[in-house]
Amino acid sequence: MRKWASILAAGAMALSASLMATQAWAQDKKITVVTWNIPYFQDGFNLWVDEFKKIHPDFEVERIDMKGTELPTWYQTQVVAGTPPDIVNIQGGLWLEYASQGGLKDLTPYMERDKDYADRLIPEFADNWIYEGKQYGVPLYVTKTLLFLNKIMMEEAGIDKNPESFDEMMEMAEKMTGEGKSGFMTLNFDWLYWPLFKMNGIDFVNEDLTEAAFNTPEAVALVERLADLTERGVIDKISWTGRWVEPNGAFAAGTVGMLHAHAPAYLWFKSKGEWVNEDTVDSIALPGGWATPNSHSLVISEGSKHPDVAWDFVKIATSGVGAKAMGEGTNNLTGDREVNAELMKYFEANVPAVVPALQTELENLDKLTGNWPFAKDAAIKEAFYPEIQAAMLGQKSAEDALNAAEQKVNRILRSR
Amino acid sequence: MAAPTTSTPAPERRRRSPSGKVSFLASQRGRDLTLIWLFLLPSLAIFALYRIIPMAWNVVLSFQFWSPYKPAEFAGLYHYEEMLFYDDAFWQILWNTILFMISAPVGIALALGVALLVNTQIRGRNVYRTIVFMSYPVMTVAVGIIWQWLYNEKVGLINFLLISAGIIDRGIPFLQNFDFALPAVIIASIWQVIGFYMIILLTGLQSIPPNLYEAAAIDGASPAQSFRRITLPLLRPSIFLCFVVGIINSFTAFDLIFVMTGGGPGHATDLLITYIYSTAFTLSKFDYAAAMTVANFLLFVLLAFIANRLAGGEAGAVRREA
Repeated sequence: MRKWASILAAGAMALSASLMATQAWAQDKKITVVTWNIPYFQDGFNLWVDEFKKIHPDFEVERIDMKGTELPTWYQTQVVAGTPPDIVNIQGGLWLEYASQGGLKDLTPYMERDKDYADRLIPEFADNWIYEGKQYGVPLYVTKTLLFLNKIMMEEAGIDKNPESFDEMMEMAEKMTGEGKSGFMTLNFDWLYWPLFKMNGIDFVNEDLTEAAFNTPEAVALVERLADLTERGVIDKISWTGRWVEPNGAFAAGTVGMLHAHAPAYLWFKSKGEWVNEDTVDSIALPGGWATPNSHSLVISEGSKHPDVAWDFVKIATSGVGAKAMGEGTNNLTGDREVNAELMKYFEANVPAVVPALQTELENLDKLTGNWPFAKDAAIKEAFYPEIQAAMLGQKSAEDALNAAEQKVNRILRSR
Repeated sequence: MAAPTTSTPAPERRRRSPSGKVSFLASQRGRDLTLIWLFLLPSLAIFALYRIIPMAWNVVLSFQFWSPYKPAEFAGLYHYEEMLFYDDAFWQILWNTILFMISAPVGIALALGVALLVNTQIRGRNVYRTIVFMSYPVMTVAVGIIWQWLYNEKVGLINFLLISAGIIDRGIPFLQNFDFALPAVIIASIWQVIGFYMIILLTGLQSIPPNLYEAAAIDGASPAQSFRRITLPLLRPSIFLCFVVGIINSFTAFDLIFVMTGGGPGHATDLLITYIYSTAFTLSKFDYAAAMTVANFLLFVLLAFIANRLAGGEAGAVRREA
């Protein structure tokens, strides 16, 4: 009896061990890809996986889609747990925090090795993911800010031309302002409002990114003017308090004359406002051509167990058929120049409404701003924006706000 | 026949060591203590794993430079200096937290008024009780969204009523206004918890023997005197409980703030808990967030101590039967 019990116990242990080994092997042949708030992009993702399996048939691909607000928390807990996802779709300046602390894989050697692939990418957009001379990400889809014009409100205000300077833009905004209506609105997250400063000749930092350069008499005058326009309702207050839903929702309501936002806003507010179409909303570059990029890229975690395999997946997703699927699936342009030409033809035939907005995305690429590679981008934003917000909403004088912001930003720039 | 009053074993049953001393486990006290610790052990292990160890690690972290991507380095008091002398947002947020906390008595006073009303013999009192209590089980996220709409500058009910009554001529963006945002969030928080306070206070009211009021009435006490001399003193444990819940709520009202304002405008509605979260997960400053968590914890301990003193200094004490 005791002998049989021993045999059974040994058998159970052997079975468990073999199951665990199989599971470990299965996990070892798997990469995890995290996408940023595109749960609907499943067909395109499946196409990426099919292409990937052609070169790595023994690998499994796990997909996790997360909302932007949840991704940083989740990602950092995974890093602490020692199980970071291999590939992450990341946006804004978040990657800089991770790259500067050694959390992301340096992709420069891969880019140098795969010259054909690297040459396909639009350099101005690819360069957005360089920190201290190293490439940490490659563009998945590209967007930058532009100006949406509510042509109905413009016509009502007797405006028959597009603004060509900051002053003209604000004069037009003033004309369109009235009972329950504002002339102008901007998105404010991720430095998206910075083109308003840049078009007035204000720089945020010096050239070597070591000291704040924004506290000038011109900046004080500009902030005072923007605050005054906000107080009088010419600039909607939501510009300084909302994030994405609120300002775009307000534009969709048809009560805002001009919206400074990035291209993906178009289809969002079109879905909310029945009045929005190619005839009623125009898309143009901000006067002077300045824009803040807000692109998405794919990065590889430093802790990835299969960085070479992950790189193959990244290449598939960001070029050729993979990039085309991305563009068609999300109505965006990509970092792949050749694919973009095909995508524009596709949009003209299938989604003509987005064409004017997307055309602006490939223009004025020498006038990108608000994309400084600060190691502490989030901390600098957090130091600067609340001060500016307080000034815009009349809580502080422009001078006090800029002085306080300068002190805080310089302290961060000098800190370890 | 009376049951034995002592459980001490007979001396002859005790196991003695060679030196003549009774071994620990052989004594009744030893066995009792062992049994108590065995019963306590699972709970203590869970408590240690999920509370004590993380808290201790948090204290260690607050004296280090640390991020998920780098090995830790000793930082001394760097983060505490940052918090106390350089981070002006911290002081504003601490003040917000205190304001949020001291709003609890307002909610308790309102709940007491409602409890007194629904404790009378009015018709349909159960319906009123249900209506007042209904806000409590609602998910905090839903409460946040409801109040966001109520406060909306253009289509909100509150602005509509104020404009209709001629009090204001254009809508107030309550949640975007530096002066109104925190009171607006506090009102939403009180609205949510008032039903809970009411139930606690109602239970307290119903446990007061009616003969006390009858005796007071015979002695010529006015309703106000009865309230002051009978109701309030006897409701003290219930009020204390509501107060403790209010304090805890002010430290944990993360979801309501997150949904309604995200802590803005500026830091006007940030509480310590939301600021700690954003410092850790948005700014990736886990070490600094740990220092603030220690400050938060110390503040909480101080408040618990004060509350305990106010309650007579014996909250949580276990009385032994004589």
